[in-house]
Amino acid sequence: MAPRTIAPFGPQHPVLPEPIQLKITYENEKVVDVVPALGYGHRGIEKACELNEYPKNIHLCERICGICSCMHGISYCEVVERLWPMEVPPRAKYLRTIWSEMSRTHSHLLWLGLLADALGFESMFMQFWRIREKVLDLLEMTCGSRVTQSVSVVGGVRRDIDDEQKKICIRTLQEVRQEAEALINVLATDPTVKARTVGKGVLTKEQAILLGNNGPHLRASGVKEDCRMLGMQAYGELGFEPVVETDGDCYARALVRARETLQAIDLQLEAFSKMPEGEIYVRPKGSPPANEAVYRCEQARGEVFYYAKGNGTRKLERLRVRTPTFANIPSLLVMLPGSELADVPIIVLSIDPCISCTER
Amino acid sequence: MIENLKEISKDTLLQEVQKFADAKARFVTTVCSDLGDKLEVTYYFNYSPGVDMVALRMVVGKDEEVPSISGIYLTAVLSENEMFEQFGLKVKDMAIDFGGLMLLGKDSPVKPMVKDDAAAGKGGE
Amino acid sequence: MPVMLPTIIRNLFGGPATRMYPVQVRDPFEGARGHIEFDDDKCILCGNCARQCPAAAIEINKEKNELVFYPARCIICFVCAEACKKDAVIASNKWRTPYYTKPVEVHVAKAKKEKAKKE
Ligand code: SF4
Ligand code: SF4
Repeated sequence: MAPRTIAPFGPQHPVLPEPIQLKITYENEKVVDVVPALGYGHRGIEKACELNEYPKNIHLCERICGICSCMHGISYCEVVERLWPMEVPPRAKYLRTIWSEMSRTHSHLLWLGLLADALGFESMFMQFWRIREKVLDLLEMTCGSRVTQSVSVVGGVRRDIDDEQKKICIRTLQEVRQEAEALINVLATDPTVKARTVGKGVLTKEQAILLGNNGPHLRASGVKEDCRMLGMQAYGELGFEPVVETDGDCYARALVRARETLQAIDLQLEAFSKMPEGEIYVRPKGSPPANEAVYRCEQARGEVFYYAKGNGTRKLERLRVRTPTFANIPSLLVMLPGSELADVPIIVLSIDPCISCTER
Repeated sequence: MIENLKEISKDTLLQEVQKFADAKARFVTTVCSDLGDKLEVTYYFNYSPGVDMVALRMVVGKDEEVPSISGIYLTAVLSENEMFEQFGLKVKDMAIDFGGLMLLGKDSPVKPMVKDDAAAGKGGE
Repeated sequence: MPVMLPTIIRNLFGGPATRMYPVQVRDPFEGARGHIEFDDDKCILCGNCARQCPAAAIEINKEKNELVFYPARCIICFVCAEACKKDAVIASNKWRTPYYTKPVEVHVAKAKKEKAKKE
């Protein structure tokens, strides 16, 4: 038997800007065992949400994750709205959809850049991040902030997009789409990229379902599942079809995210054209009643699960957040053993890990 | 109100979960909450694609031991470890046992999510 | 590679995509959330802002007739600006510059005092 070596991967690693440690046991460059070690970013947000009054939790939930912060805020508002239950005005639904899709666009562009970076394709990395900057500018223009948007409140949204901003958004999004499409074509056909990703970290459809994967990671294995199919917010009216690939390897995951980037821009453009006029906020009546609610939303990284339990006071009895990476980490325990040590960064990156999300 | 909720006991848990695994349902998550003298554990599953979730709920005493479903769904291992750490729910035979050190450290508060006076802090800061 | 040619040429001859930041600053967007200031002349010390602030960055001291603001705690959400009925919180779109020590701003609410004097 060849000698076995145990090497730590993370929590500080050049490829992975996330605080997770994987203790990798390898034998002649082949990984044989992986043990994850978490706990570098636990902040006790679930507990803090029980101690705060419910409107203040929006800002706390937005800080669960930097990239998906807009969607965390929206999901929290939606789950609390389901406690009454109350309806938000249609325009607010469209605005939430638009901001969610904008977040998805910039998150996927960020990930595509990181993938190029992990492969050593530095110039591609910079090209992706340059066009991502335009989307961030749109978010800053419409929401007021690049990262923690803080636009959603229980009962609606805080800001409206006026006609002038709408025009700028549509024009910029069309530009972004064109530029992103050109870059994605290069990334998808480049032989070096293919050599590093095709056939790495394969998960079959059955494995992916049993491992509870979600998001682009699951759809790359050929499962047509996406929470946006449930038709929450305005997705029901936008004719949404999930993006599915069947190979289940790192290349398929990259393709799913690349196609979703373009799809997200199309959805935004469609939402802009269909957006109704009207109110954007209704005031919730009193405190959240004693009731329970669950809500699932498709974030850039996958499905986020919110559970809220009210008790009739201004504070919530319990709030539970299950973030996408929390369910995707166990799939590493199946994908990594048997792979080459040099492929570990790519495979870990291919689930788009977000550890501060996971630990909350 | 949670739709498709089924009340079970800890003895029938594994049987019920096995039914989901046979039907190729996806495990979503567990939710544990403190009812005062008991703990309420809810398991959420999802039949693909894109339909509402199905939930299994059981109420157990604070010092009771429940079986682990990580033998059927490996992915449940993280949420079971989390329940053990945050609520002190004892789970038997977990596939990976972090021993209460998954999210928390050695000097962290013990069972921080339990609602007693010792764990309650000041809100807003 | 030929598909990338236009990009390559543009990058070769075009200027940098970034700015020389501290020297050259982009104008903030109109609705951007930069920082908040208090208008002491208008504040009546009602405490709406302090109650709704998610970061507990505002403290009201009724005895001393003071509003104490901790800018380092503020997360710039502008909830206070929406909560204030007297427009005493001014929402600005300019970012604060970094600081080495955490400042504490003490505002004496003048409107309150004048009202009290009249009575
Ligand atoms: S700033 Fe406005 S909300 Fe705050 S105490 Fe003064 S008047 Fe009231
Ligand atoms: S901007 Fe937000 S965090 Fe800052 S003082 Fe106002 S309410 Fe508090």
